[in-house]
Amino acid sequence: MRLIKAVGLIAALSLGGVLAQDRTQTLIYGGDWSDLITMDPQVSYEFSGGLVTDNLYETLVKYEGADLSTLKPGLAESWKVDRGRDTWDITFRLRRGSKFSSGNEVTAKDVVYTFERALAIKGPGSFLFTEIAQLKPGATKAVDNYTVVVSIPKTASPGSFLSILTFNIGGIVDSETVQKNAKGNDFGKEWLTNNSAGSGPFRLVRWDRGSQVLLEANPNARVKPKLQRVILREIKEPAVLRTALESGEIDIAEGLTPEALRALSNNPRFRTLKADSLRLNYLGMNVKEGSPFANKLVRDAVRYSINQDELVNGLVQGNGTKIQTLIPKGLLGYDPRTPYTFDPARARRLLAQAGYPNGLEFELLVSTGICGGGIPCADIAAKIQSDLAKGGFKANVKAIANAEVLRTYRAQNHQMVLVGWSPDFPDPDGNATPWADFNARSLAWRNVWNDPTAIRLANQAALETEPAKRVALYRLLTDYVLKNGPYAVLYQPSVPLGLSVKVEGYVRNAQGQVRFENISKQP
Amino acid sequence: MFSYFIRRLFFVVFVAWGVTFTTFFIANVVPIDPAIAALGDNAREEQIREFRERYGLDKPIWQQYLIYMGRLLSGDLGNSLRTGRAVLEDLKEFFPATLELSVAAFLVTLLLGVPAGILAALRQNKASDVTVRILALIGGATPVFFLAVLLQFVLARQLDLLPVQGRLDGFTFPPPRVTGIMGIDALLARDWPAFLDSLRHLVLPAFVLGMFSAAILARMTRATMLEVLSQDYIRTARAKGVPGRAVVFRHALKNAALPVLTLLGGLLGGLLSGAVLTETIFSWPGIGRYVTQSATSLDFPAVMGVTLLVGLVYALINLVVDLLYAFLDPRIRYA
Repeated sequence: MRLIKAVGLIAALSLGGVLAQDRTQTLIYGGDWSDLITMDPQVSYEFSGGLVTDNLYETLVKYEGADLSTLKPGLAESWKVDRGRDTWDITFRLRRGSKFSSGNEVTAKDVVYTFERALAIKGPGSFLFTEIAQLKPGATKAVDNYTVVVSIPKTASPGSFLSILTFNIGGIVDSETVQKNAKGNDFGKEWLTNNSAGSGPFRLVRWDRGSQVLLEANPNARVKPKLQRVILREIKEPAVLRTALESGEIDIAEGLTPEALRALSNNPRFRTLKADSLRLNYLGMNVKEGSPFANKLVRDAVRYSINQDELVNGLVQGNGTKIQTLIPKGLLGYDPRTPYTFDPARARRLLAQAGYPNGLEFELLVSTGICGGGIPCADIAAKIQSDLAKGGFKANVKAIANAEVLRTYRAQNHQMVLVGWSPDFPDPDGNATPWADFNARSLAWRNVWNDPTAIRLANQAALETEPAKRVALYRLLTDYVLKNGPYAVLYQPSVPLGLSVKVEGYVRNAQGQVRFENISKQP
Repeated sequence: MFSYFIRRLFFVVFVAWGVTFTTFFIANVVPIDPAIAALGDNAREEQIREFRERYGLDKPIWQQYLIYMGRLLSGDLGNSLRTGRAVLEDLKEFFPATLELSVAAFLVTLLLGVPAGILAALRQNKASDVTVRILALIGGATPVFFLAVLLQFVLARQLDLLPVQGRLDGFTFPPPRVTGIMGIDALLARDWPAFLDSLRHLVLPAFVLGMFSAAILARMTRATMLEVLSQDYIRTARAKGVPGRAVVFRHALKNAALPVLTLLGGLLGGLLSGAVLTETIFSWPGIGRYVTQSATSLDFPAVMGVTLLVGLVYALINLVVDLLYAFLDPRIRYA
């Protein structure tokens, strides 16, 4: 009996202790963060990694809110692009008085160190610097304490480079702190895996792998957050995610099922949100010689056979946007036009014209997994199959493991494939080059689509520095690929979220970035 | 006895080798490219080639096996393809959570299973016996995920009594990591709120995980108890006027314990590997969740590391059970 009393007393005490904590100062964000493998901005290349490092580190330039088409000042208060003889010279003027969590001031030498570090470490995202921006060691120079010049070859796109800088890899690290913790020649890679040394509004306090990440307000930050603590809770099961949100264990749930989203939208305690992603789900058609899809009429017939409205509203249940062109909504050059309407009669006519009056049979490769928007790929394939049948096609669906789908696709061994694509960085070039330029050995290459017009337009648009001209070029390119390319874009999936109504100021951009400093919690 | 122990220990090593051999070849028979699985769709061809070279995936399978075994003998389980960390580091990080959960589930198994079995045996065919048997049937037949979701729904969402996920509440600051077992770490730090909170979080998953084995144990205990109770020496004891309680606990239970002990060893091992589903449903950061994640991303070194660890623990448990056998029953002699 005495034991029970004691336990009861302790329980009451502990409850009091918990209640005494100010819950409005802590945000708990639940989701599947299982791809979190490092907190090092120059190594991290995963979605969750980006979510965390974005809040630990500042970048020279950044995007604000949900807008991914206008660059805003970050650590750099201004920047300009100059046309050199063989290079683009980009000059950044740093803000004075930005401090790292250690108290050290952010200066030009930290920027130089960070960029050289990215090139030396060769992390999974380093190709953004080495291949896309073609940045070489020694090409980043400190002019004075607050001025940095980065020179990239004329063949690289300054627009792409600037938008790459908004990504994890561009997060400026505290060179002094990192060097102090470096082991041999590792540029502090091991230490930064579990620690932070940035000037962002938060600093990393603790990371329990597979369980949670604890961030606390950075006392030295220039940008002061509204909250003291942010906790990322790793919850993989959508059903548990929902229950945890409803029982108040978490404030935000990312990655709910369409059913959960509907149920929560009827509950006044919660708010639901469909955040954009930059992903596109599409059908890829192999146009190599001898393939029926080599004939443009057949590709058009495919595009006229698909009932996109039914797909997006019915199967995807609104967890996605209808789109037909290759630049996703949210990026510069996005084209909302959807000229291909569901017209099976026309598809049959086109097919007959192409020499297949009795229809066409082929294999449609899909993953056994889940496609964007939380829908099993097999369900989407079934819908496509029945649509295509109305247009005179007989698609034999073959469902295999995703890695195997990708392997076959890379080996150009598919006929038609149902897959998704997300750009590597928030710039139209992140889609345009892979989709249009055969020589980039990406999607155009996999579908054996070697089209000089598309290649020329993609290169031209990438190198254009005038935004208006760039948009015009992307208009031409997206329209050209839409009509001639080996793709039928299906939809742009969104990310379903549930939030407690107490949470204010939450915005998730299509790149998956969430700025925790803008979020506050009502009592 | 000592030579028996040595022989059994050799057997454990043999089992471990068998586990690595089988998992290695099964894992590598899967005709899927781990490099693509790890790097995803956007990876460049060079990145994929580099990845294969770095992890030796470009070598013939027998060479890969020899390299793996060579490393293993020096205590190196290789690097995870997904996290890039040493598998051993990952196991150190995730195993304590699984151990904590399995031990708690084992306690649930013992505390529910044995008394229920004894009760049922003593009240054979009475209402309590029937109840135990029905409950055991249900407990043994209910899938873990169903029971888990049901309890989460009722106890957590409707009644708001227990948390549904994780090892600690978000508002409770975790204690410094010493053993990795949350309850013990909290005790070491004398952090009572964290200790109680960790217990609260342990209740549901431990119950769900322990339920199935408790049901099996109850049925087994009941059956062996019934058999023992019908033996001549029990009748003799009763005839001599030994009190009922003493008959049950001193004479019957001790003799019924042997077969139950064998079962317990298997059950404990089963709890370890059975934690896979439970950990996923309760967001419990243990090796179960780690291995599912590794398996879906074709992270062979990680899957093999976990399999080897579970295999070793299993073999060691069996070794302990065998030794306990000899200790409990002096009639069992080992030449």
